[in-house]
Order: sequence, then C-alpha cells, then structure tokens
Amino acid sequence: MLFAGVDAGSRAIKIVIIDQFCKIVASGVCDQGVNQTLLAETLLEDVIAESNIVRTELKYIVASGYGRDALEFADTTITEITCHARGVSHLNPYAKTIVDIGGQDSKLIRLEVEGRVRDFVMNDRCAAGTGRFLEVVAERMNMPVTDVGLCVVDADNPAIISSMCVVFAETEIIGLLASGERPENIVAGVQDAIATRIAAMGGRSVQEPVIFTGGVARIKGMDEALSVALKHPVQVSDHPQLTGALGAALFARERSGRLA
Amino acid sequence: MIDTPLLLSIHDWDARYDDLMARDLVEAGYGGRLSRHLDGGDYRLNQLLFDNSAASLRLWNFLLTEEARLAAARADGHTLVGAMKDLGTIPVMAYALPNVTAFYPDGAWWIPCVMELSAGLLSIADRMGIDESFCPVRAMLGAFVSEAHFPIPDLLICSVGATCDDFSAIAQRLQGLGYPILWWEAVHRRQADKGEDSVILPGGFAAPVAQVDFIQTELVRIKQALERQVGHLLSDEDLLKGISVANGVRCILQKLRFISFTAPMAPLPALELLIAEMLAIHYCSDQAESLVVLQDLYDLAKSRVDLGLGHGHIDDARIFWVNPVADLTAMNLLETCGGRICGTEYLFSHALDLIPEDLPPMEALARTALADPMIGSARQRAERITFDMQLFGAEGLIISKIPGASHCALESEVIRENIEESLGLPVIEIEVPPVCDALRSSLKTRIEALVETIKSRRK
Repeated sequence: MLFAGVDAGSRAIKIVIIDQFCKIVASGVCDQGVNQTLLAETLLEDVIAESNIVRTELKYIVASGYGRDALEFADTTITEITCHARGVSHLNPYAKTIVDIGGQDSKLIRLEVEGRVRDFVMNDRCAAGTGRFLEVVAERMNMPVTDVGLCVVDADNPAIISSMCVVFAETEIIGLLASGERPENIVAGVQDAIATRIAAMGGRSVQEPVIFTGGVARIKGMDEALSVALKHPVQVSDHPQLTGALGAALFARERSGRLA
Repeated sequence: MIDTPLLLSIHDWDARYDDLMARDLVEAGYGGRLSRHLDGGDYRLNQLLFDNSAASLRLWNFLLTEEARLAAARADGHTLVGAMKDLGTIPVMAYALPNVTAFYPDGAWWIPCVMELSAGLLSIADRMGIDESFCPVRAMLGAFVSEAHFPIPDLLICSVGATCDDFSAIAQRLQGLGYPILWWEAVHRRQADKGEDSVILPGGFAAPVAQVDFIQTELVRIKQALERQVGHLLSDEDLLKGISVANGVRCILQKLRFISFTAPMAPLPALELLIAEMLAIHYCSDQAESLVVLQDLYDLAKSRVDLGLGHGHIDDARIFWVNPVADLTAMNLLETCGGRICGTEYLFSHALDLIPEDLPPMEALARTALADPMIGSARQRAERITFDMQLFGAEGLIISKIPGASHCALESEVIRENIEESLGLPVIEIEVPPVCDALRSSLKTRIEALVETIKSRRK
C-alpha cells in the first residue's frame, strides 16, 4: 500500500509517495503553470512510472498547497501549514519552529508536542520576504536562481537593500550594479533583506530548534542569513522542498487507516 | 415548523421565498425577495450565502432598506441626527426625543463592499486626498458628496479624542466640505490614580469618577444641542424610558449571542449574527422594528437549539472573531472552512452591555460611553476578549484587520499575547479589504489552517 502527498505550491508542484512504513519511495517536482490539475496529474503519472509503481497501489492521496482545491484526483485536502508541520516533525521530531520560504509566500510555524501546529504567521502579500526576491536578483545577474547562493561565500560587505518592496528594490539593485558593487555583495544583501523580513514576521515567538524548509532553503547562504536575523541557529530540513508533500503523504497514510 | 438550517445563495432564496409565501409568511412592510436588492446595485449579495429562515430574511430586508427608511423619515419631517464614531451612545439619547431618527453615516464603510465598488464612493474620497492609506470609512465622504445613500442629517455629532485618529481626519475633511459637526471629546480611559475615586463601567472596566464627570459634561452639551434642534426638552424621565428601550435591544442581543455562541451546533451563521449585532448601534434607523427583528432571530435560534438543529457540524472549530470585516463574504468563509462563530468583539462591546438604569440617566450614558473598547488600552480590550472566549468556550481566535484601519498598531500583538499566555489558544490575523475576491484563497488557507490546528489540539 502506498500513499501520496501533492503540494501544489505557487511556483512548483511537489509529490511524495510513501509506503506503509512511512518510507519515501518516490518523489518529484515540476514547475507550476496555468493548467494546475493537468500538471499535477502528469507529475504524479511520471513519478509513478519512474518508480515502477502501479497506480492502484496508491490507496489515498492528500492535496496541499495553494492549488489544493483544484486537484480533483485527491481524496482530501489539508493546508500546507499543517502538512509542513507534519512533514518537518516527522524528519525532526524535536522541531519547535519552522521557517518555510517558498516562491510566493513565507510562513513561520510554531510547533508543540507531536508536531502539532501551535500557531503560525504567513506572508503572501509582499514579495520581499519570499523566493520571488531571489528570482528578481537572479534575473538581473543573468544566472539561474538555484545558483545565486553560490556566490555568497565570496561576499565581503553585503549591500544594504533599503526598499521594502521588491519592485523598488530591483531599482536599487540596478543602481548598485551601475555603481560597481560586486554581485556577491548584492546577493548577500538580498538574502539579508529576506531574512530580516522573516524575523520581523516572527517577532519574539521563535524557539529552537528552528527548521528551514521550502524551495528557498535550497539556496546556499539563506540559512546563515536567517540564523543571524532570527538570532537562533537555523537547520535546513532534509528534503526542504518536499516537506509539505511529505506531510501530506503522512496524512494520507493516516486517513487511509481511518477509512480501513 | 422549523426547517433544516441551510445556507442559500440569493437566487436559491427566490424559490425559498415562494415556498415561505405559500406557507403564509407574514412580512413587514419592507419585506420581499432578497434578490430585488440586486436591482439597487447591491451586487455583493450575489456572492453571499444566507441563512434560509424567515427571521433571517426579515433581518436582511431590514438592513437593506435602511436608506429608504431614512428617506421616509426625512419626508415625514423627522429630525435626522447623524452620529459618528461613538457607536451606540448618542442614538440612545436621540431616540428618547420625539420625531427623531438617528443613524451612523460611518456605516457607509460597507457600501463599497455591498455594491462591489460600483457606487464609486472610495474614488470620490481618493479625489479628496483621502486615499487607501485611510480607513474604508472614507466611503462616508463619498456618500455625503453624492447624496445617493442617505439624506444629509440635520445635525452631525462626532466623538473625537481617544476614538480614532483616522476617523477624526476623515470627519475633519467632511467638516471642511461644509458639513458642520458638533464635536465631543471622548477621553482615553485610564485607571484611577491612588486615592482617586473610581467606578465600574458596564462590561466591567473601571474608570475614575472624574472621567465619568467629564464625559457627562460633554454629553449634556450634546443633549442641549439635540433639544435645540428638535425644540423639545429631554427630561430625565423620557431619557430613562429611552434607555430602557435601548436595553431591550441589548438584552435580546445578549440572549441571542449567548445561545448562538454556546449551542452545540451554531443555530445561526456568522454572517447573520454580525448583522444582528450591528442593530445594537443604531437599530437600522427604526428602534421598535429592530426589537421585532431580533426577537424573531432569538426565537428561531432557541427553536433550532431545542431541536438539536444548526449549521455545519457538531465538531466545527469554535472560533472567536475580533473586529468586523470590510467584505461580508469573509464571514461565510468561516463556515466553508469548517469553523463556527463562538464569540465576537466588533469594537462596540459597550453597545451590547446594558446601560445602568439605577443611575441618573446622563451619568449612565457617560459610563456607557466610557466603556467603549476603542478608547481604552489594548490590554483591557484583550482581557475582555480573553474573558469572553472562556465564557463561550472558544478554541481559537481570528483577529480581522482592514487595510489602513487599525486604530492601534500594537493591539493585535497585545491581544495575541494575552490569549496565548492566558488560554494557550491559537490566534491568527487576517486582513480583509472591502472586496477580497483576490485574497479568498489566501484567507481560506489561513482559516482552514486554524481549523485544522484547533481540531488537532483536541486529540
């Protein structure tokens, strides 16, 4: 028996399939697009095919993420907040705080015993605290967004990005480039700016251990920037982009058991 | 006969209306199909889900005919009093006088939502330099300029001082447009100093006697202005009678709130309860009828509870809601997400508390005015919310904010901390603009996540 979790995020769709022992047996990621249902279905079929799984082995599917309601093939939906909490606490049972930074939003989730959500704050109104900010700087630097973190190690004096809005911050970046600022320092400055906004969102409620998830957690240097801004060590989760889908798959296993 | 509670669209309500009429529904003069209000431009009704009861139909028709009622009052030669900001005190005094109809022009803040911005009220305010960085109450300016929504009051009265800076700015702009305003000062409620006499206010807050005396002096000034406007002296006896009628409304609302918030299943949806609570402020311009409308709703709620009927499910998350929403669809969303309303604090709790009837009436009104949650500290408001959450058995809290409209930047954080420390319950903040369609998915995620959190904590 297998169980699937689908996290239909704003920038990417993530799928995790687990077995009855909660072991990940397959996973996949694709870009989000216009036809969200078709994209998710296609990804699921691809993941199944690549893993030599028979579709009928999938006993239950939980959809999560902002596009969850569009996925009619799922048996039920659960919010990404609850799913991230479940996925992270499965991988890190002692986690107390989750920082999840995705392409279009960011969340700070506080956990209590057994990985239950204590409370959460969420930013989906301002791109300055999300991966979108890094995409903007990547476009300006003519490099893939996944590579922007690679140059941060060479930063010697992170630039100060003062604008609270990505649109105007882009203007600042253009100005910094024109004035000869090193790209490494600009990228480091953008990472600091994102981290500062996350810290402001979290206020005084951050408790250790702090686990970092979401696509942005894969960008080198972001964890360090967050550690400084939050004043707490930050640990990047295993499978940071997949924790929401993993949580959804774990819920799928649970719900399937209840049905049985 | 009590029908199974359902949520209906405005178009489903047409068939329901025919069904009720076939069963000899007796309507008030303002009755009729809900869908007729679409003809007047209330397009947002298309997006709402309504309770299917005759009592709710009456509530909605009552609310949505207020403009006609105000026009009729003007035609009948009534003195129209526009009260602003105090939310629940001045109308009590006004209605104690003969042939006076009071209303809150501030209520125009919901017009942009109900008419889906088609009335252009916010655009008018924009042109006056009162842009979206201000509270949506700025729609009131547009309503005054367009004169399309309510008759221009004969007397405009506004409380200022500790109430709301934003509103004060908007009201001053209104005065600048040539609408004279009679201002009165509502001081910031404080604790009594050592050795200073204090009194308990309705709702449980305390304040120094000196502050009550000050507010009373201000209210006497307003009373005299009302008397001059109407040409009739307001005796203590008449004012006490007026207070008694106002308390009748508040008393029914207290009963309605209690039975609705504490019942195993919600007998009424969050949206209808919000509208019902609003009647405490100015009775939708008809004090006597508001009593009937509320009594109908209470009778319905009681019958449903007695029969074990309600909306949603018995395990719905019990949620306390702080601050009114600018877009009414957000209230429907609560039930869509598996929640139910279990307590509210819409910034006019003082209009729901009984006005003391064993005090000289002007002092009683002064104490009530001083109990306004908006003019006290955020911590006091948080403490009352905490108390009510326990009273009603709420499991989580939604603090609803309106872009540009928080009268206290610190308040949400203070409320959140108080609830977390005192009750250990989850709190979320949401922001609801006048038309929140584009944010629906985001709001849904937040509310659903709160519901999931509440349910997981039960295990």
